[in-house]
Amino acid sequence: MNPGSVSMPENVLPESLRPVPMTAGPVSLEGLDDQVLSPVERKPPRAWFIAFALTTAVMLLGLGLIGYTIATGIGVWGNNIPVAWGFDIINFVFWVGIGHAGTLISAILLLFRARWRNAISRSAEAMTIFAVICALIFPLIHIGRPWLGFWLFPYPNQRAIWPNFRSPLMWDVFAVSTYFSVSLLFWYLGLVPDFASLRDRTRSGIRKFFYSVLSVGWRGSASHWRHYEKAYVVIAGLATGLVLSVHSVVSFDFAVSLVPGWHMTIFPPYFVAGAIFAGFAMVVIVLVVVRATMRLENLITMYHLEVMNKIILTCSCLMGYSYLLEAWTAWYSMNEYIHHTFWQYVAGTYWWAGWTTITCNILIPQVLWVRRFRRSYFAMIFVALAVTVGMWFERFVIIVSSLHQDYLPSAWNVYKPTLVDCGILLGTFGLFFTMVLLFARVLPVIASTEMKSVLPGMQPRHAGGSHE
Amino acid sequence: MNRPVFSVLGLFDSAQQLMDAIPAVKGKVSGRLETYTPYPVHGMEQALGLRKSPIAGMILVMGLIGALSGIGFELWTEAVDYPMMTAGKPYWSWEAFVPIMFETMVLFACFTAGLGMLFLLNRLPTFRHPMLRSKSMPLITKDKLALAVESDGQSLDVGAISALLESLGARSIEVVEQPPAAGPASPRFLFRFAVGVAVTCTAAGYLTYWGVKLLPKTVPIVHMLDQSRLNPQREAPFFRDGFGMRVPVAGAVARGFMPYQMHSESEADLLANPLPRTEDVLRKGRRDFNTYCSVCHGILGNGMPTLTAAYGAKPANLVSETIRGYSDGRLYRAIMAGKNAMTPYAAELSEEERWAVVHYVRVLQRALNARDDDIPKETRK
Repeated sequence: MNPGSVSMPENVLPESLRPVPMTAGPVSLEGLDDQVLSPVERKPPRAWFIAFALTTAVMLLGLGLIGYTIATGIGVWGNNIPVAWGFDIINFVFWVGIGHAGTLISAILLLFRARWRNAISRSAEAMTIFAVICALIFPLIHIGRPWLGFWLFPYPNQRAIWPNFRSPLMWDVFAVSTYFSVSLLFWYLGLVPDFASLRDRTRSGIRKFFYSVLSVGWRGSASHWRHYEKAYVVIAGLATGLVLSVHSVVSFDFAVSLVPGWHMTIFPPYFVAGAIFAGFAMVVIVLVVVRATMRLENLITMYHLEVMNKIILTCSCLMGYSYLLEAWTAWYSMNEYIHHTFWQYVAGTYWWAGWTTITCNILIPQVLWVRRFRRSYFAMIFVALAVTVGMWFERFVIIVSSLHQDYLPSAWNVYKPTLVDCGILLGTFGLFFTMVLLFARVLPVIASTEMKSVLPGMQPRHAGGSHE
Repeated sequence: MNRPVFSVLGLFDSAQQLMDAIPAVKGKVSGRLETYTPYPVHGMEQALGLRKSPIAGMILVMGLIGALSGIGFELWTEAVDYPMMTAGKPYWSWEAFVPIMFETMVLFACFTAGLGMLFLLNRLPTFRHPMLRSKSMPLITKDKLALAVESDGQSLDVGAISALLESLGARSIEVVEQPPAAGPASPRFLFRFAVGVAVTCTAAGYLTYWGVKLLPKTVPIVHMLDQSRLNPQREAPFFRDGFGMRVPVAGAVARGFMPYQMHSESEADLLANPLPRTEDVLRKGRRDFNTYCSVCHGILGNGMPTLTAAYGAKPANLVSETIRGYSDGRLYRAIMAGKNAMTPYAAELSEEERWAVVHYVRVLQRALNARDDDIPKETRK
């Protein structure tokens, strides 16, 4: 599971090649446990309650508006024909995208043996789960009668019919629900040894009972670890394919249709890159807050944040390439409908959305080329917020600009979101951060077991042969 | 009264010490070697000589089963059980089924890996394992690494093992005892268990009742049934006069409706049956006669049905001399407008059906008053 220790004498290597310390300053195992696990045992500080009250209020606003929508009907939204996919699908794609960073960090970086992931994997995985919960709300309320949502799944019914498995929307149901359940499983497996630590730290009472049940009697024996490590790595490998497939399938919702501006082969990789981009931005926001408020500066170091920012910069360049490729495809297609849609992006009804996207996603992240900005709280939060806004507007452009003027000019219409639309979007942010705050209080935000295995001196030197 | 010893374990400070101690203990004492560590230690499998984890093979098999059941289910539903043509593609358009096949493969494989590892291979949950009650467990999940010699059925040489572990640099030695055997369940526990089962069943039953019977009747789930609409014979505030039913415009005729023109039986006599006497028409006439008329007039039309006793007036004998003398039009009028105690059947039978019934009544009349020459000569006796 862990990348092993580098046992080469460090003075042999030039400084630029020496392994970067994973922690700032020496950390003992006991100190690590106290630092990571004790917030769960203490009473939260006043600031936490203030933040929690705020996010809960926003969440309740969103839930109230969802209730209003369900009781009245989705006519309270701005959706119309031809823009039948409005805020709901924009928000769905936006939140699913944010969810992708967690699996990327926990699965793909695990396979690449990127040791720095250990400090941030737990919170990134938690974010995945919360973001996917936020995402799942939207298709459910978009169907108008959410109590019939189970019709999406194939079950034997008295109508004797099945869902249409040739539809990308059906693929989406399977992809997102698989993604959610596998992420939850992966998260839980990582938590099991930490639950065991918590169980043994807790003296008695209801918390001890819950930690005992959740840790399923984990005792860290060698005969357990050998299965655990292998299972964990295999799930990571499968989750890597899964995370790439999920946003590809989300992009199929668009690419498999014939709407000009959607029907492009670039969509799957373009969507996956965008998802990682938005997700990493959100991880940076969460990490900066968690690091400062929970005093984890020595575990989540500036090095971690800098690496994250490098990935954000890479994704920004990938996004720029994708946007250029969209322009190229439009030009090369020699198809007046695609030409028209592309001009709608940059100079149409919603030109401001198009330019917000380009500014926030392509131009602003370029400041991260400068090392000083990669290591500055202010700059990285600014960039991360810009990316979050920009990625939301990118989905707005893709969905609304493409749909509101397609093949038939007599069907053209302008889409205007209502206050209910905006309130529900705001409400999901409230829900997301409420869950993040709860998570920070009831579960260890850093995978302490994984951290322990990569601390210096924790692995034997060349024990039993190879490292890997 | 000492309980049997489960294991003797020594706690070490570092993974290096632990790894160095393993070869020194291995084979020197009876019992099974096991280590307990707060994190996975590299090379432990080889050092202890554990066999390779079989989980990869399990995952492979279950992943294949997941993929096959995914695409098999899709092909069965879309091409066999309910063949549906979508976008002009063939039924066996397997390419469209690949994304879901992939997802079911990943789902099966990951849950096999996760749950199979925890519950099958590691035989968890074990809340009564002797180690969980040991004093060393909280240290192990924190920062200490333990090397344990565990009993494999025979009793352990506690003194020798302790001395050996101590000589290898173990910080502390613990002798872990087997937990006391669980006795029979106490009456108190059984009572609580029974109450728990009863409460769970009641709650589950009520929830099912609520979900199936009450929930579907709540707002907004009933919105599709409970629409604002005009109901016959009901008040409707939409109209100024408050009536839901409207009077048609003067002279309006409903589609397919033929205004009733016959004000007397003599007028009806002028009508002729427009239908030909084909077998098909007679068959239809018999069906409607048996459905609507036979209840009172009898299956043979002779006015001797089972209902007669319960009915005030005696229904007409349709095969009698009098009615045989009626014109087709007069029979038609009786069906349409009613006669004596008989109510009109205009609402039940369309114009064509009424004429078909008239034909069939003629058949009954003829059949019950047949003459000898109605029978073909060759079959006569």
